[in-house]
Amino acid sequence: CGTPVPSSGGLIAGYAHQKPPRVLVASRNFANDATFEIKKCDLHRLEEGPPVTTVLTREDGLRYYRMMQTVRRMELKADQLYKQKIIRGFCHLCDGQEACCVGLEAGINPTDHLITAYRAHGFTFTRGLSVREILAELTGRRGGCAKGKGGSMHMYAKNFYGGNGIVGAQVPLGAGIALACKYNGKDEVCLTLYGDGAANQGQIFEAYNMAALWKLPCIFICENNRYGMGTSVERAAASTDYYKRGDFIPGLRVDGMDILCVREATRFAAAHCRSGKGPILMELQTYRYHGHSMSDPGVSYRTREEIQEVRSKSDPIMLLKDRMVNSNLASVEELKEIDVEVRKEIEDAAQFATADPEPPLEELGYHIYSSDPPFEVRGANQWIKFKSIS
Amino acid sequence: MAAFAATAGGLLRLRAAGSEGQWRRLRGAGLLRGLLQPESATGVAAQRRHVAHFTFQPDPEPREYGQTQKMNLFQAITSALDNSLAKDPTAVIFGEDVAFGGVFRCTVGLRDKYGKDRVFNTPLCEQGIVGFGIGIAVTGATAIAEIQFADYIFPAFDQIVNEAAKYRYRSGDLFNCGSLTIRAPWGCVGHGALYHSQSPEAFFAHCPGIKVVVPRSPFQAKGLLLSCIEDKNPCIFFEPKILYRAAVEQVPVEPYNVPLSQAEVIQEGSDVTLVAWGTQVHVIREVAAMAQEKLGVSCEVIDLRTILPWDVDTVCKV
Repeated sequence: CGTPVPSSGGLIAGYAHQKPPRVLVASRNFANDATFEIKKCDLHRLEEGPPVTTVLTREDGLRYYRMMQTVRRMELKADQLYKQKIIRGFCHLCDGQEACCVGLEAGINPTDHLITAYRAHGFTFTRGLSVREILAELTGRRGGCAKGKGGSMHMYAKNFYGGNGIVGAQVPLGAGIALACKYNGKDEVCLTLYGDGAANQGQIFEAYNMAALWKLPCIFICENNRYGMGTSVERAAASTDYYKRGDFIPGLRVDGMDILCVREATRFAAAHCRSGKGPILMELQTYRYHGHSMSDPGVSYRTREEIQEVRSKSDPIMLLKDRMVNSNLASVEELKEIDVEVRKEIEDAAQFATADPEPPLEELGYHIYSSDPPFEVRGANQWIKFKSIS
Repeated sequence: MAAFAATAGGLLRLRAAGSEGQWRRLRGAGLLRGLLQPESATGVAAQRRHVAHFTFQPDPEPREYGQTQKMNLFQAITSALDNSLAKDPTAVIFGEDVAFGGVFRCTVGLRDKYGKDRVFNTPLCEQGIVGFGIGIAVTGATAIAEIQFADYIFPAFDQIVNEAAKYRYRSGDLFNCGSLTIRAPWGCVGHGALYHSQSPEAFFAHCPGIKVVVPRSPFQAKGLLLSCIEDKNPCIFFEPKILYRAAVEQVPVEPYNVPLSQAEVIQEGSDVTLVAWGTQVHVIREVAAMAQEKLGVSCEVIDLRTILPWDVDTVCKV
């Protein structure tokens, strides 16, 4: 079945302890791996791009499927909890974009770095946090990954720098992380993500220049889901070829709904950076089913037919499932079992996130500065004081 | 394209009030305790949740400006912008999502009425929006720029402080960008968290060359905004977002001006002066009433209105 393929690096450590799905029908023999054709990427300033075929092992396939399904169900659960007012504030969901977070993670190592904007729940999961910690952070409880103080847009994990609210502000940060990678000399890269709306922010171009000038190992990734809040790309950008917007930075345009395409492109981009050639830009063409945030129904600037069409023709989970079933890498029943297990995991996490207590009010003022000794912070009026400990 | 322009209703909930678009006014018991029992407040505060509380107090119907209409804050803003575009053929309005009416409905109907070359969207680039606005203003046209939330004004800080504020001074009055007005939704709303709640007027308050204005009500807002637009200096106009729907008053339909750099004494008093602006004026009014009732203290309540240059005389006057 082709040359041995290294198991895709860097799937979350926390996942290692999950028991592999039971094989229902003992006598059924699955293929160990299968070769698939993937779409050729459009290239900018590159002689050649990622390969157009890739090998997917059964083990990797099942893992990707489980991860994507987990992200999908987690986002849908967050939608439910929001509507029940258990999650408040802002909530930007990424269902439809699962191939991006899972595919990117499949192409890098856990020791690489990643920073993104506010549509970050999927990345928080793929970078190693549990669904429990994520949902509890959304509901603002102490069991949350940021102790309930960060919320939807401010989740962090090892080598994952958030979760950032201000559009475009995370890109120069990503270039800085890449500088640290180069400086430390450990062959690490930084994935710096932003959206199609953010692509028109000035600071992105400043980051491009610095990264190219100093040959930083930075992979700029534009997650183009066609709409910046309610504005379609044609109405916001003079050039919608986001992979070319880096000008002097080589770029590639990737089918962001096909996880294998994303994985191969990421491997290619990471190899480019690790070889010292400097930054590279990837545009992932993807789609979000939900609106911009939970306050946006998502249908006043696009038609339901469009959303339906993407769901039926390009859904990332469906595409992977069809490939695996048709190549005898897994059975429909097996994948359904995974669905059931994922549902249970999400249910348990949601229970936890709903029942866990909120952080105590005393902690409201903590961690403003790094300071020793503690100092007092004024609350909403002069007589309310919070102690700030850090 | 049609689908997008059709219902402002869908997008209006974008980033506006919480999931149902309702403004919550919650009891201010914590505030009361804090006022009367300062020593025990900390102990009590630790157990209570403290949330935003105020009751909007409308001013009496103004008689001197002709016919009035019941308007909330965003409608008063729309009315002011409508008057401006009608009076001044060079006036243009631009910013993120203003064309369909804006995320807070402040520009509803204006594009249809005045055309797409006068009311148009910009891409997502605050520094670009303000810089671009300065450019328009320098040629003499009236530029009304919108920053979608005051929290996002910081990429434009350099343009405002280093370019707009100093243009007239550094060119020896040869050039100026006085016909620039920047509008931004401002202030806490309860669920806005870090980036939809900020009140950044203090960052601009020490920058000579610009004016900073914060209205407390629809009537004040329309008059102050018209004054800002007509003022021959670049102005920043912060609109308390929590008042967009909660504040309803009778507002004149015709244009009128409320003077800049003039504070208003809302209530005279003899013991203590309370100075506030924006939403907090309504909190302070309640505090003044409580102080009179519970403590027998006579408070003078002043709405500063213009933060820069501020009306020192009215505040300090005996």
